[in-house]
Amino acid sequence: MTEEKLEQLAKRLGARTAERLNVDAIAQQIAQRLREQPVSRTLWIRQTWVRIAAAVVILIGGAVVASRLTPGRPTHMAHLVADDLNDLSTDQLRSVLTTLDDIVSVDSVVSDSTADLHELDTQQLRTILREG
Amino acid sequence: MTLPKPATAEPLADTELIAGWRGGDEQAATELVTRHARALARFLTGAGAPEADLDDVVQETFIRAFRAVDRFRGQCRFRTWLLTIGSNVLKDFGRRSARRQVMPLDEGVRDLAGDPHELAEAREAEALLAAGLKRLPRLQREVFLLRAQQGLEYDEIAAALATTPGAARVHYHHAVRRLKEIVE
Repeated sequence: MTEEKLEQLAKRLGARTAERLNVDAIAQQIAQRLREQPVSRTLWIRQTWVRIAAAVVILIGGAVVASRLTPGRPTHMAHLVADDLNDLSTDQLRSVLTTLDDIVSVDSVVSDSTADLHELDTQQLRTILREG
Repeated sequence: MTLPKPATAEPLADTELIAGWRGGDEQAATELVTRHARALARFLTGAGAPEADLDDVVQETFIRAFRAVDRFRGQCRFRTWLLTIGSNVLKDFGRRSARRQVMPLDEGVRDLAGDPHELAEAREAEALLAAGLKRLPRLQREVFLLRAQQGLEYDEIAAALATTPGAARVHYHHAVRRLKEIVE
């Protein structure tokens, strides 16, 4: 069987059945159905907009959930540090202050951005930290 | 809206009839059915549509096509687009009536023309081809029918089936190779 013969066979396939088809009757039935159930183009447009709206809601919802689940936001950090300090005893807080004293004494250079602190000497900074 | 009467006897192009239907002209839809129903029926038969369901599948295909006509952008010919819709409709029908025969047994009784022996041989070959087509993957079957039965070019087939002409060519050759094995 050659490809050509196969193609000839394919061309004949269904030819007799198609000839028996009552095309006029089918056309009438289709026209009748189209009349009874008219095409609703607005329905398709409405469905499309509903799908778009659903996608937007899912995206926004997902973004909100993701942002809540992601740690490391600055406000949360400050809150956590404050919580930690509340848990410390007086002795532990003194120890922290002593550590800060050591840091200040080692890094005597203060950043330019903290203009007020820049004007203080080491002793004044120690006093502020103890009082604070 | 009614179709404009052409000055000559030239038949309206499919695109004009589609535009007519979009404008609400029922006659344009009827003309499209008359023009393409038999080709669709041949394609569907090749794709495995039972004769008992053929009228229904053809009807449903046209209904779906007319309802979705706004999505037809002229990426291929209307007939090609219609055949791909027919393939989807047939798939849905197949789920409902999977056990029906592809070729009716009384086919020969109705066709009285020609030498009975030759007719019997031809019918046997067609039945083998139909059975072989059923065993092919859907894409191979569709490409084969669009090419061999409907005579379409690979570019047209590729546009209709959302693939590339090269891929369509490969599917066709795979289909031919397998069908040769089955029919022989």
